[in-house]
Amino acid sequence: MISCTEFIAAYSELFKFLEKKGGEKAVKAFWNFFSDKYLSSSLKRLVKKRGIRGCWDYWKATLNEEAANFTMEVDEKAGVLKIIMHRCPSKGRLLEWKHLKPYADYCRHCDVLYRRILEPLGFRYEFDMSETDKARCSLVIRKKSRQPSK
Amino acid sequence: MAKLIMRCKASDNVYQHKDFHGALNLALEHVRRHFGPDGVRCYLRQYAKAFHAPLTRDLRRRGLVALKEYFQKIYALEDTVIRIDCSKDELRLETDFCPAVKHVHKMGQTVSPLFKETERAVQGAICEGTPFAYELVSYDKKTGRSVQRFYSASQPKALLRRSSARLHRRKR
Repeated sequence: MISCTEFIAAYSELFKFLEKKGGEKAVKAFWNFFSDKYLSSSLKRLVKKRGIRGCWDYWKATLNEEAANFTMEVDEKAGVLKIIMHRCPSKGRLLEWKHLKPYADYCRHCDVLYRRILEPLGFRYEFDMSETDKARCSLVIRKKSRQPSK
Repeated sequence: MAKLIMRCKASDNVYQHKDFHGALNLALEHVRRHFGPDGVRCYLRQYAKAFHAPLTRDLRRRGLVALKEYFQKIYALEDTVIRIDCSKDELRLETDFCPAVKHVHKMGQTVSPLFKETERAVQGAICEGTPFAYELVSYDKKTGRSVQRFYSASQPKALLRRSSARLHRRKR
């Protein structure tokens, strides 16, 4: 068994495996597949039902289960959700495991996976990766003024 | 229309995001579809060689007790009871179900037909370069119930046969 507490290592090694097999294109193809399959019954369903509050519900559950160090704010009236990740549990672990070299563009999956779900639902997704080498990042999700696609 | 704020520290929660089991299941299926069963084994071997390098070193240095401690730790994290019988030359691990398989079912996913490689390919890779060999004695695809054994590769064949017969009797 690969414990859920060890999954992050398997995830990072998967990206390396795919890149060796088919370059960045193969990694992106997996991220797209994964977004469609993994997030459609969770994040997508919640956002369709509850709008920006669905984002809050999704990240409240996952970030607590992942024991993240974060601050999250939602303003439903303005349609904005912000997350400041002070210490990402995934990247943090990868950096702590000194014997393991993380996939170089590991944090990019958070950009691809969530953007792919949220933009078609009428949200703008801004992801700041400038400090991911310290396991820190931030994201802002804003409701666009136009109606989302169905 | 609410304004909400949440601040959490890592120490506020236990790290246990079980949906990662479903994520791994999808990853295995993606690799299987694009690179076949050998691709899945190759990927899991790469993961095990990289991530479990310290465990492999420990297995070489301290013997099977290193694996015993490791399995006790990770199954406890997954809230799962296991049975371990460990001597200097052999370790047998029995589970009534795999917590990963159980959670994949709970998520409504179809379990990858190669999910058992998360035992076979991974444990086999952990044993590479050590005096020990690995055998997945039995595995139930529906539940992940399994019997696994690690044994001294220099163990005489007669002993291995006796050991297998004992396991067979226990299973019945």
